[in-house]
Formats: sequence, C-alpha cells, structure tokens
Amino acid sequence: MGEQPQELGRIIGPDRFSDDASDLAAYAADKSFAVANKPSLVVRPDTHDEVQHIVAWANDTVTALVPVSSGPPHFHGDTVPSVAGAVVVDLTNMKKILRIDRRNRMCVVEPGVTYAALQPALAEHGMRVTPPLLPRANKSVLASLLERQPTLIPRYNFHLPEPLRDCGVVWGNGEAMYTGEAGSGPLSLEDQWNAGLRQIDPKGPAQTDFFRLLTGAQGSMGIVTWASLKCELVPTVHKLTFVAAAELADLLPLVYRLNRVRLGDEVLVLDRAYLARLLGALGCGILAGELPPWTLIVGLGGREHLAAERVEVAENDARSIAEQVGLSLRLELCGASVSSVQAALSSCCKTPWKLAAKGGSADVFFLTTLDKAPGFIETARELAVSLGLTAADVGVYIQPQHQGVSHHVELSLPYDPSDAVEGARAQKFHDVAGERLIASGAYFSRPYGSWSHPVYRRDAASREALCKAKRIFDPLGIMNPGKLCFGALAVREEIH
Amino acid sequence: MTGPVTHVLPRKAYRALEDIVGAEHVSEDPAVLDTYAFQWLAEVVRPRQSPYMPRPAAVVMPASTEEVQAVVKLANTWGLKVKPHSTGWYHWSAPVKDEDPTLQLDLRRMGRLIEIDESNMYAVVEPYAIAAQVQAEALKLGLNLNIPGVGCSSSIVASACAYHGAGPSTYFMGGNAENVLGMEWVTPEGDILRTGSLGSGDGWFCSEGPGPSVRGICRGTLGSRGGLGVYTKCAIKLAPSFGPTTWEVGGTLPAYRLPVAETQRVYTLAVPTWNAWAEIYYKIYDNEIGYIFHRQFNLAGADLAPAFWLMYNDHTKTLSDVPALVDQPQIKELTEEMRISFQIILAGRSQADIELQDKILDAILAEVGGWKVERFCETDMAEFTNMYLQRLGHKHINFVWVGGYIGSWMQFGTPDWVEGYVPIAIAGLERDAKGGLLVQCGGDAMMGSGSGVPGGGATGLEQFVSYDPADLESTKAGIRHMEDAVKDATSHGFPPGKEFIYLQIGWTDEEIWEALRNSRQPVVYDFQRQIKEAFDPNNVGDRMYPTLPAARLAGEHGNGT
Amino acid sequence: MALTDFRADALRCTRCSYCKWIPFDLVKSHRFAKGCPSIEAHGFHAYSAGGRLVTMLSLMDNRSEITDTVVDIAFKCQLCGNCDVACKLCRYDMEPLAALHELRAHLVEQGRAPESYGPIIERVRSGTGGKGYTPTERNAWAEGLGVKDLNTEKADVLFFPGCTYSLDENLRDTVRASVRVLLAAGVSVGVLPETGCCTGLAYHMGYRDDFTTGARRMLETWAWAGVATVVTPCADCYQTFKRLYPTVGGGIEVLHTLELVDRLIQNGRLKLTMPVPLTVTYHDPCHLGRQGEPYVPWEGVEKKIFGQAVVYDPPRPRYNGAQGIYEAPRNVLRAIPELRLVEMERNREAAWCCGAGGACREAYPEYSAWAASERIQEATATGADTLVTACSRCELNFTEAIAADSAALAVHDVLDLVLRATGEGGTSP
Repeated sequence: MGEQPQELGRIIGPDRFSDDASDLAAYAADKSFAVANKPSLVVRPDTHDEVQHIVAWANDTVTALVPVSSGPPHFHGDTVPSVAGAVVVDLTNMKKILRIDRRNRMCVVEPGVTYAALQPALAEHGMRVTPPLLPRANKSVLASLLERQPTLIPRYNFHLPEPLRDCGVVWGNGEAMYTGEAGSGPLSLEDQWNAGLRQIDPKGPAQTDFFRLLTGAQGSMGIVTWASLKCELVPTVHKLTFVAAAELADLLPLVYRLNRVRLGDEVLVLDRAYLARLLGALGCGILAGELPPWTLIVGLGGREHLAAERVEVAENDARSIAEQVGLSLRLELCGASVSSVQAALSSCCKTPWKLAAKGGSADVFFLTTLDKAPGFIETARELAVSLGLTAADVGVYIQPQHQGVSHHVELSLPYDPSDAVEGARAQKFHDVAGERLIASGAYFSRPYGSWSHPVYRRDAASREALCKAKRIFDPLGIMNPGKLCFGALAVREEIH
Repeated sequence: MTGPVTHVLPRKAYRALEDIVGAEHVSEDPAVLDTYAFQWLAEVVRPRQSPYMPRPAAVVMPASTEEVQAVVKLANTWGLKVKPHSTGWYHWSAPVKDEDPTLQLDLRRMGRLIEIDESNMYAVVEPYAIAAQVQAEALKLGLNLNIPGVGCSSSIVASACAYHGAGPSTYFMGGNAENVLGMEWVTPEGDILRTGSLGSGDGWFCSEGPGPSVRGICRGTLGSRGGLGVYTKCAIKLAPSFGPTTWEVGGTLPAYRLPVAETQRVYTLAVPTWNAWAEIYYKIYDNEIGYIFHRQFNLAGADLAPAFWLMYNDHTKTLSDVPALVDQPQIKELTEEMRISFQIILAGRSQADIELQDKILDAILAEVGGWKVERFCETDMAEFTNMYLQRLGHKHINFVWVGGYIGSWMQFGTPDWVEGYVPIAIAGLERDAKGGLLVQCGGDAMMGSGSGVPGGGATGLEQFVSYDPADLESTKAGIRHMEDAVKDATSHGFPPGKEFIYLQIGWTDEEIWEALRNSRQPVVYDFQRQIKEAFDPNNVGDRMYPTLPAARLAGEHGNGT
Repeated sequence: MALTDFRADALRCTRCSYCKWIPFDLVKSHRFAKGCPSIEAHGFHAYSAGGRLVTMLSLMDNRSEITDTVVDIAFKCQLCGNCDVACKLCRYDMEPLAALHELRAHLVEQGRAPESYGPIIERVRSGTGGKGYTPTERNAWAEGLGVKDLNTEKADVLFFPGCTYSLDENLRDTVRASVRVLLAAGVSVGVLPETGCCTGLAYHMGYRDDFTTGARRMLETWAWAGVATVVTPCADCYQTFKRLYPTVGGGIEVLHTLELVDRLIQNGRLKLTMPVPLTVTYHDPCHLGRQGEPYVPWEGVEKKIFGQAVVYDPPRPRYNGAQGIYEAPRNVLRAIPELRLVEMERNREAAWCCGAGGACREAYPEYSAWAASERIQEATATGADTLVTACSRCELNFTEAIAADSAALAVHDVLDLVLRATGEGGTSP
C-alpha cells in the first residue's frame, strides 16, 4: 500500500479514514455466508465531491471500492469485499435529508439516510416512503430501494424500483451524473429546485435508464450520492384486516383479486413460522402453532377527503371479495397483537428482527408469478426436510409487487451461527435451495452470493450484456469486483 | 426537382434477402420504396420541405424473430443500415440519411398476440399487434391496457421498447415504460437478448435484473426509435378494466359512443384559472381518484374546441359548419365555460367505491372553484368522451384541420411548473398564427396527460400546431413556430420542449453533435456512444439512437454537484 | 380529373395507417380488426390507400415510373371503401377512395391496365356485360315470371338484375325470388330486356369513358321508357346507379330490392309468415353499405377558414359511410319468423369486403378468393349456419370460398329467405 492510502487520507481527511483492524473487522463479514474478507481501509465521505475524488483515486490506483450505505449488520454479502485490498466507502455519514416537498410528495436523501431518520421527518409533513417489511433502524433507504427490496404496498408499485426516482451517481469510471429528469436540468439540485424542478421522472435521460443499471447492482456500477423518492401520504385512517387459511392455495384467488382491483394498502402473505418470528421480535410472544398456517394481511388506508369512508368502503369491498372465494376478512389475528403487526408494517426495529430468534437467518428470495409460488415453496420445504429440518422451520413471506404481476417470495430459516452444524445446514439450505429453485424457474432477480453463478449460467446473453455495460461504466472493474457476473480477478486481468 | 438518392443493393445481397423472407416480401421498386420514404413531418425537416425522407434501399418484411435476426446479420455483412418500424407513424420510422443504404424492416407480418396471462395480468405481443387489438382481447378478460397518447393504432412493442409510451391512462395504468416486462431484442449485431425473467427462461413477468437491469440499456425517457436493433416481442402489464367485457358501441360515425359503465363516471371538468388547474391536478393526485385523466379535447384549440366537438358529433355536419357554430351565443358561452378544461374518467371497483369517488371529486371541485361542464357531461357527449378516451381511436384528429400537425412545448414537470409556461405558450401560438399561415384556433391548443408518470406528479402540455403540408409557406410557418417556441421557452427560463425531437431529424450530424455537446450532461451521449460501440460495432443502427463521438466530447463535462 | 387533383390529399396524408383497419372503436378482437384486404394480402404499405396516395405523388413527382409493381399496387384493390370510412373518421378534407379510382383511371389512360383486363372491358364495351352473353341469354331468368316489358308496357318499377344475376345459373333462383317477392307484394315489375351492363365495372376498372358512354346510353333508354324508379338486387348495380350515374345525368330513384322490400313490410303490403329457423349472419356488401349513400351533386372549390383549415365552397358532401344502407336488410331479416340474426364483428360500415370488388374477382381470382375466405372465417366464428348477403358477386365469392374451405356454412341472398318466409318457396337451406 504505502503512499496510495495516504493520498486517500489527504482526500478524505484523517477523521474519516481508517485502517484500524477492529474498524476493518466490522466490514469483513456479515450475516450471510459470504467468505469473510477484510478490507484494507474504510473511508467515510461526507459529500458527493469527496466520493468523486475517492473514485478517481481508485481508478488511478486500480483499487477495489465497496460502497456501504447502511449500518451493520448486513445480510447479503454484497458489502463484504470479494477481493483483497478493497477499500470500503462507508456512506453512512452522508445522511442529510436534502429536501422534503409535501406538495409534490417527493423527498431527496443522501445514502446514509435511514428509515429511522426519514420516516419521522416525512411524517411531520404527513408523508412516508412506502417501506419494506420492518426494516432495521439503520437501514439505508436509498440502499434498500437500489437493491429493489420489496415494499409493502403493491398498488403503489408501478414498477419494481418504485419509489426510487432520480439519482446522483459517481460511476465506476469517475464520471458524475444525474439520472432521470434531473439529468436534463441544471446540474445543481438547488438550482433545479429554484427553477421549480422536482426530480420526479426516473427515466433517462435520453435512451438509457441509467438508474436501472444501478438497481440490483450491489454497488458494482457506481456510487449513488443522492436520490429522489416518491412519498405516499400517511393514511389518516388505517385499519388492518386478516384472512386466515389452512393452505396457501386457498389464499391465492383472494390475493389475485385484491391486487387486480388495487384494493388495499399493505398486502402480504405470511406463514405461521414467519409471522410468529416477526411478532416475537416485536415482543408479541405468540407461538407459531397458535397462528393460522397462512395469513393474508391487508391494510386499508384512507387519505385526504372522506378518509374514514374510504376505509369503510374498502373494507366492505374486501370482505365481499373474500366471501366470494370462501374466505373471511377479520379484524383480529388469533389473539396476536394487532398493534404488533401494525408496528411491523410501519416502523423500524432497533436490531434486525430476523436475528432475534437464533442469531442467524438464512434467507432465500426470488420473484415469481403467484400461481407458481406454492410449487417453489414446496421445493424448498422438501429440501429442508431432506436436511433434517422440518417444513415448519422455514418461514415464508410473499410480497406482491408490480401491482400483482410479480411476487417476492422469501423463505427464511433461522439458525444459530455459533453452532457449526446448524450453520453448515443453513448454508446448505441457502445454496442448494437457490440452485434448485433457479433450475425450476424461480427468478432470482437479485442474485447474491452463491446464486449469481447459476443465474448467469442460465442467462448468458444478459451476462454478456451486463459485462459490456460494466466495461463502459466501470472499465477498470474497481466497483465491488466479484459480485454478480463481474469477475474478481478476470476483469482485473483484462486490464493488466 | 432533383431525383431521390437511390441505393441499389448488390444482387447477391438482394437475393439473400429473398432467401430469408421470400421474394414476395422484399421490394426495391421505387414506388414501393417511396411509400416508406414518405412520412408525416418529413416536410419540416427535409430540404425544400420535401415530403420524402431518404428512400430505403429495399423494404423487407420478416415474419419471425429468426428472419429478423438473419436480415440484421446480413446488414452487418454488407455494411447496410437497418431501420425497423412497426406501424411506422413518425418521420424517424424512415431512413434518416440519404447517404446511408438502409434496409427498411416493415414488421407488419409480426402481429401476433401471443398470449394473455389473465391472472398475472400481462400480454405478450409482437410488434404489429396494435393497442386496439390487445385492448379488445384484454377487455374480454376484465383487463385493460395503457394506450399511449398517439392512440390505439400504435404498436405496443414500439411504445414500450422503442419510444415513449405515456398517455391518458398512464396515471392509473402506468406508462409503457413502467409496464413493459420481458423484451426480446435482436441486437444490431443480430444476437438475441431477452431481458429480465425472460432471459432466464422464467417467463415474461419481470423486466428487471438479473442484478442490474439490462433493460436499462434498451430505453430511457425515450427508446431508440429503431436506431439500435429490433424489438421483436415484449410482454406488457395490463390493468383492471372496471367495466364490461364487451363494449356495446353505439352512435354514428365518426362519433361513436360507449355507454358509461355503472361503476364509472365520465366528466369534462373546468376551472377558472390556471392556478386552479394546477391545484386540482394536485388534489386529484393526492386523493387517488381517476382512471383516465387527460386534457384531450382542447387539441382543437380553446377558441374552437366546443364548436368543433359538437360539430363532430353530428354526422350531417362538416368543418364548414364550425364558423357558424362558433358564433352562436350558447357556444360562445360554452367556449368560455370550458376554456380551462380537461377530461377525467373515474372507475370504481364497486358501486360504493364509485359513489365515494364522486363525492371526493365534488369536494375537490368545491375547493378549487371548479365545475363539471354540463353540456359535455350530458349523456351524448359523456358517451362520446368515454369512447374516445377508452379506446383512443381518433388520434388522427390531431390533423383534422388541414393534415399538418406538429407539437411544441410539452416540457414535462410538476403542475406548478407547467402552469408557469402556459401563458408563454399561449402568447406564442397566438402570435405565430396571426399571419394566417397556421390554423387560428386561439393561443391555447394545448393537450396533455393528467400525469405522464404513474400515480401522478408530473404533466406536460403540448401545443397542437396545425399547418398545411400542401402549402410551402404554411409548412415553413409551422417550422418557424417550433423555432419560436424554443426561443420563447428558453428566454423565459424553461428548457426547450419536444420541438427538437421533430426538428433534429433534419439536422446534420455536426449540428446534432453540437447540441448534444451543449446539453446538460454530454456524458450521457458519450455513454450511449460506448453502448452503441459495444452492441453495434458495425454501425447498423442509425442516429435515432443519439451518440456523441469521443472527439466531440470536449470542454467541461456536465458533472453534478 | 387528373392525378394532380389529388396532390393535396397525398401531401396531407399523415401516414396514420387508419386506412388499413376498421374504425378502431369497433374493434372487438385481435383477429377481426383489419379493414383493408389489399394490404393484408400484399403487405407493403403501397397496398394501402395511404400508400397509393404516395404512389400517385411519386409518379407526379417523377420519382418513379409505372412499373408492373405499380400496376399491381393500383389494381389489386377491391375499392371496397373501408379506407375511406376509416380515414374520414378524423378527416374532412381527404378523399382516399376517389384517389384510388383516379390512380386506376390514370394507368388505364397510360395504357397500363392489367393484362387480364382486356377481355373484360371488351365484353363490357360490346354491351354484353362482363359475362359476354347475348341479350336473349341475359333475359332467360325472367321466363314465366310475368314481368312487364317496359318497351311496350308500364310498371311501378324497372327491375334491373345486373349481369351476374341475369346470367349466372347459380343465382337464377335468387333473381327470380327477388321478383316473386315484389310481385307477391303487389308491385308491378317491369324490365328492359335489351339493356346491357350498367357499366359500373368499367368505372371501377378505370375505364371512365366506357362508363360514361354506357351510362348515358342507359339513362337515355330509361328516359325514353319513362322509368322513375329502378330496383336492383345487385349491390354493384345499385351503387353504380345511385352514386355514379348522377355524375352523368339521371334524377331517378334508385332502390335496392331490400329497401323496397323493407318498405313493403313496414306498410303491410308484404307479410312474412312462414318460419325460417336459421341462424344467419348478414354480410354488408360494400356497394350497398358504406358506398350506398345518397349522391349529392357538388361543384365547388377548396377554401380556407381560421387561417389554414380546409373547407369547401359550397360545403362538400361527405361520403363517410354514415348513411349507407345497413338497416333495411336487417329489418327484413328480423321480420322473418324464427330467424335469428347474429352479427359478425366487422359489420355495417366496417364490413370486410367479400373480395370480388374492383374487378378483382375477374382479374385476380386467387386474391379475391382469399379475401372471401377471410370473411367466411369471420362468419363461421359467429356460430351462424347461414351467411346471407345482398349482392350477386358477394354471394358467388362466398359460395366458392365455402366450397374451397369446406366450411360448414350455407350462403343465401336475403331475398331467398324472404321468399321462403312469404310461403312462396325459395331455396332450401
């Protein structure tokens, strides 16, 4: 190393530059099965300009950068360096909420802005960003959306990246850019705001949806330094309803129908194991056995005019639709605390709730159409049983996306990471379930870790296209090498 | 008149094309070629206002993705350009440079509606399946689809993959940029790339990923307009219909009518000021009502629109009757009443829901001082409006006055921001039409979606400027207006609108590069150059996919702060 | 007229492609949305009305010459008028169908008619009609019916069967049924045995002089015979007399047999009492439907209002299919006991052409048959067991297509079923 990190230190300043071992250890591993690998440095920029300088430096020195926006722990392996000598760019210091605009229902945030910080700030204006399910408090909103984590309200999900809109980015080649509508305006957010521009349309500019090349990229294309987000209005009246079923298949017609007519705010399906874990982490000690095998949760929200009447009409309509398929809409959940469920849908957890049960969680998730979900779940459960688990050990969460066209299916296995046997079994479950599900047609649109190889083997044309894109936006391959289909050593060998 | 630049293909190349698609599906007859060179808007960009774009070297009509692939590979071999079009409405559907020997791919033999997955709400289509066809089939299943502003005669694949895709129903149903799912793309090299879940063999349902979304290369604000490969299939997300599965269309042509469904409402709403217009749009967004939302009828010009539309609804009348109608006292009153007006269709999932939406709308109108335009909400006009907006099958009315239409302004932003340019746009058209070389329909001939982004938030208003393409001076006046509109906008601190989308087609490469270099972020076009080099090494696609040569990217980069 | 009369139309065409489809508001399915047989069969844009306008422009601009392809483009078209209806949904200044006629006439004048046209026009010129029969053979259909000879007698109406009805043995029963129905209603029916072809075919082929000569001759004969009303069962003759003859002279009332039958039923002179338990679907012949609108004489000039908006002085009549004869045949069908009428998706002004028009049946039989087959598929899709129409050439084209496709569908003229419903016989289904 030597001079190079010192140069980096001069760029970033000594306070926000560290090669301290204990500091670095925090980034060397996460809660996934990624092989631990310590970075050589961690830097904590405060501004877009500093990010740009860091990236320029990394290009000059051909050093890998691993952007991290959320506080620990991390879960998918994307923040663990895959190569030696990487520098972690910890963006958690960039935590300004740059703008909140109630009239246009937009906000602009830096990458370090967390759900815990943003939601209360938006709430003062009667707004929020549609959240994922119970994010941890230190989870970066921007990172969550960039990684296309599913959000809770399908009818707002006009396309998967919603509510992410425009971005400011420093690409891996050092070029800085605004994406979307912002890219056609003056290159200063202040100037844009003064001109009445609000960074609303994410498309473009021109013929490229640059922001889509950043989503799902695990930080391998560039570093996003700000993003505009569409906000929803916090409902002034909100009610939770529940539909219980013995079999998942019983719920499918209702889920389809609700999404078809865009009824409901939150719409999600949980099996008893997942729901019990979720509620347990929130202090509602209910056993899985006390819950129905499957629960559909439907939130009903009313906003602006006639909000209460809106909820009433929605409830009546939902009830009617449920009855048409032989199900009942209830206002209670088998003795479980409704307020706990409400908290899961609208708040953050201080510590990651999935770790509460056993300290570890092997999660397998993919996208599918709803009709195929039962088959994939069955595949995963069969695997679990073959590994000496029970089917009930694997919790299931189904989140309708894209207004009901695609569904996030998540299979979650808690395990004790301090137990080597459990750990190995959990890893096997994670890897083999991934392989089998990929092979049987589950779409792993977010191919973390061991999933990337089978995903890109299956889609060589996309792999080639993405590598072409990578060579354009990050020609030296410095951005988080070794992730997705971007080789660790291969790219670097190419350039040498 | 000098003759057209003509490219004669080497015989071997021509015979190879015949081998691929069949001799009856290739032509190099000059008259046939001219029917592809002739394009609306050619007259505003071509030398001496010629109505012909460059003539292709041959027209080829493939029937399958494999045939498209073979033709594209042939073009690579022979150094030809490829210009695909679906329905081919817009001058960039044609070849753009006289000096480029171009194969015009007419995709009309690829018109299948491959499937509709009802439960999962998407349709899979080929390029020549137009929105009207797909909607008709979707309705049978209780589904609907977003029809882009150009109307239902347009190709779903084109609007989703290769152009824009927003329209009156985007507010509720999503634009075709948001609705597109898997795409099948024959790249300029002749490879086949399938995006999203389709590429993984997992079906059509997801356009994103795997990992970063490859579809990000395919289209952005606009698509490549035929300038970067050929899209041969796509899947498109559908929307709920909230209406009957078959339509009992009545009325007498041209003004067909569609009875308003029990759980729908069709209104023309008006407001007293443009400030109120912005207010009502925000309130509609926030209250989440509205299914189809558009300022449509004003395309005829605020001074003439009520008279025009009432004339249109009487099959015994023609444009000759409009002047007399305009002068009638009750029409004058109506014209003032609906000077700032727009159309909205509400759709409820139940009777209670639609009644509630009605109440919400009434509350909103009371807040902004707006009203329902009674005459246009009467059954006849409501049913006409319903038919018009639901099927969007009369978009050729854009050209009703005299056959020439070009659109200025249409800068896209928040309602507040758009309100800012409205008076400038009105004054500009009034000024430019004064000399009588443009149709004088009042300064406000603006039309636009209630929201061009789904869920609300951003709109735009486009001036409908009518000129006579058979009259050189009128055509030139149309061009001058576009240039004036750019000056009007920029001198008032607004960016140019859609004028350059039309006019740039006629610019030289140098002029285009200069404009790109001076754009806010020339790096965008440098990236696109690299994308083109990666996917189109033999330069088979044309400049409808804009790029900036590396040597032109000089001076300051457009860096963000 | 000349090509240059349509220069403005060509320049004002926007290439919207509406001319290729039925009015979009009427589209009910993916399958049956197309309106133009020509482009459906031949593919290139040149084979649409918009494309032909450009072809005309290209010729006018000396950018191309009349090649065999240009001849193909101009003449492989039924002149069905779908393009005209569709274009005029949104335009008041375009006359696509008139332009298509002009293109043909121009090519004929240039000596570039299709080769197959030679014998056809010769037969028309010889006064023996497209079929080439003698006058005696032409009138054999009327034997024994008791019709009056207008050379020597008076009658309520002149019944004009047209060449196809007169001469095609397969249609013999239908033409006789037409007359028998009228006679049953107490209408005195006369014929003019010596007259030949209406010469409408000549017009559609582009031989305008032949049409004009033939029309004048016919009108003189009618004037001499004191004809006030002509009734024809043939939609082609109907359109010729109603819309084309007045450009030459005239002033007589023109009725399709079904219009008269409709009137007779309405005023109680014709009673349909026998059940005809069929499920039928009705095909609107182009020349009775969208091209069957009343003729309005006009001579005027283009003028502009509101700066550039094109209107005409005096106002030009608008033929957009709105006033075509759609309901009279349907009224008649609905008056038949136990007959069930189901509609094809493309009906009335949006009807798909049978394929016979524009001399395509004679000159391009394969193409004509293909178009008919398309319509048969549409008729079959309704679930009907019978396809009915009101035009001789439609009926022939459909009959042949059904045989070729082995489709399970019968074809009849409406009048066949009317006669059965009167209890006076007629063909069995």
